[in-house]
Amino acid sequence: MRPLDHTTVELAAETAPSWLADLRQNGFEYFEKLSMPTGAEEEWRYVDLDFDIAAFGVPDVAGVPITGDSDLSALTDYAGIARLVDGFVVDVFCNTPGVTLANLAGHVDDDSLLEQSLGRAIKPDIDIFAAAHQAFATDGLVLHVGRGVALDRPIVVDMQVTQADTIAFPHLSVVMDSNSEASVIVVMRSPDGQRNVVVPQLELSVGDGARLNLVTSQHWGDGTTAIAHQRMVLGRDSTGRLGEVGLGAKLGRLDLTVDLIGNGSSSELVGLYFGDRQQIFDYRVVVNHHGKNTRSDVFLKGAVEDEAESVFSGLLKIWPDATRTSTFETNRNLVLSDGAKAHSVPNLEILCDDVVCGHGSTVGPLEEEHMYYLMSRGLSRERAERVLIRGFFDEMIQRLPVSGLEEAVRAAVTAKFVRAQSEGRV
Amino acid sequence: MSKLALDINNLEASVGAIEILKGVDLEVPFGEVHAIMGPNGSGKSTLCHVLTGRSDYTVSGEALLDGEPLLDKAVDARSRMGLMQAFQYPVEVPGVALATLMRECGEERGWDSDEIDGRIAEAGKRYDMDRFLDRSVNNDLSGGEKKRSEVFQMAVLRPKVAVLDEIDSGLDIDAVREVAEGIERMRGPEVGVLMITHYSRILRYVTPDRIHVMIGGRIVESGGPELSARLEEEGYEGIRERLGIEVPAEGVAEKRPADFFTETPFDL
Repeated sequence: MRPLDHTTVELAAETAPSWLADLRQNGFEYFEKLSMPTGAEEEWRYVDLDFDIAAFGVPDVAGVPITGDSDLSALTDYAGIARLVDGFVVDVFCNTPGVTLANLAGHVDDDSLLEQSLGRAIKPDIDIFAAAHQAFATDGLVLHVGRGVALDRPIVVDMQVTQADTIAFPHLSVVMDSNSEASVIVVMRSPDGQRNVVVPQLELSVGDGARLNLVTSQHWGDGTTAIAHQRMVLGRDSTGRLGEVGLGAKLGRLDLTVDLIGNGSSSELVGLYFGDRQQIFDYRVVVNHHGKNTRSDVFLKGAVEDEAESVFSGLLKIWPDATRTSTFETNRNLVLSDGAKAHSVPNLEILCDDVVCGHGSTVGPLEEEHMYYLMSRGLSRERAERVLIRGFFDEMIQRLPVSGLEEAVRAAVTAKFVRAQSEGRV
Repeated sequence: MSKLALDINNLEASVGAIEILKGVDLEVPFGEVHAIMGPNGSGKSTLCHVLTGRSDYTVSGEALLDGEPLLDKAVDARSRMGLMQAFQYPVEVPGVALATLMRECGEERGWDSDEIDGRIAEAGKRYDMDRFLDRSVNNDLSGGEKKRSEVFQMAVLRPKVAVLDEIDSGLDIDAVREVAEGIERMRGPEVGVLMITHYSRILRYVTPDRIHVMIGGRIVESGGPELSARLEEEGYEGIRERLGIEVPAEGVAEKRPADFFTETPFDL
């Protein structure tokens, strides 16, 4: 393990090109300037960060990969696959012409593309975690889809953290050249029962007329604190569709920003999360409409049981020139136990006329009217609840922008609820 | 098997201090279709919900389903005993496909999957519901399609007592005929059908064995199918006068009045 200090940054700089060394140094300056959130800040008010980041070290090598069943078992037909362990790319395979799927460490010398993409979308001033990522990330994965190239099968990324008491910085940059098309599935996992911090970053750049579909399936282990940043930037007439599945982690936070820069671009975010025990999910979504004629839709559904807590904070911002924009956000929450809490804060900020927008948010238990209907058909209360929970999430599962994970996600949400039912926790 | 599918004795129900059912007696033998007619607020829908087991009511008296006491059972147990209500306002259940619901019903009853799939296929064909099987229950269905879905579910689950609450309300004339044909097809030696209506229109297409008139929480008159014609003539007002029943005081109306005119009269 390496400490989170200047020695680690300097060590990395010895082998890195100067632009990357500068990037790391810049991140480190912010890291030193920023402090751990205390919970007093509005954007951290629901989250209790019970650790000091300085107590964790960066892994110096990749640990032993987790094998065995996961969502990935069902994914056998892909155009490329990469495995990131503890922030290091350990396996990468893709032989589709026009597509580069590569690790940073191996390709950094001759790829000016990296210089243009890495660390450009997610700024180090967001918070201490983003700064730490820029300063200390040891490796990263880059997916570059060339102009006009359309992948007919997904790229699969197995993002793992294996080592206890470490802080890992897995990184994925996706660069889609104009009129390209790709689908990406990212599965995140770590073993249960060990304490660690992970700060993943996904930087997604979607060129003019390009189409990106990306699903993230978050299954971090129950001792993992995950603070993720994700940003998608969209060019003219491009489309970016994101799916976020949140099931694991002790604390799963996602800071997601979508920028609709190009005229005629559109984005969609479909998400589901299900918290039990003392899990916390914290979704911070910002969609910026800069271009004219841009469209966005955000739809997240979540459930909490036991003493779990969820936060959805969504801001749709329409900038002054973004005329003829349409934007919607919806957040629906089921609160299944007395001790569980869901916070839902949808916001609109409109600096332009001639726009169509809407938002809706609900927090509550399973609808008694639905229960009555199902029970009047002979379903026991327990079965009726299970059917409704599955139905609640199924609407989202069916809308995930990349197929292949449906059965695994369905099984995972059902298992979570059935376990709580059988232990009398709901 | 008892001769009576449903045997109701001195059934009373109230919400808070308001008495809605004031002693209902009713027998529906297996193989018969009975209609209950009455004005808004007479307690017809309450009778349905009390039988199904809605928790809003304080209930006393007796209801036997095929000889077994019903009222001490939970909603789901009553259904598995063989009671099923087709709702006046079937609720939309997002995310739960109709076929999934029927399969869960079959599993809960211990039927094997071939049996339940066979029933779904047969009833799906008979009620032309195939294209709705993979859609969420009642989601985006027209009024007529919702009622057809209710009748379809009955054909799959085959209750001993089928209670149809205002099955004709909100339907245009073609949909009424279609639903009525569905009810006629449901008729059989193993089921007793109780249909609620305040509107004699559907009785042009279904011929009940008995018609009961409910006013002010009681059944005030019973007779054969000919009673329908007399009702058309006299109106509920006429019956009240003839039988010397006072007009109910304000506030006795049902929670959700089954008023035809509050619904869309035609499927748009």
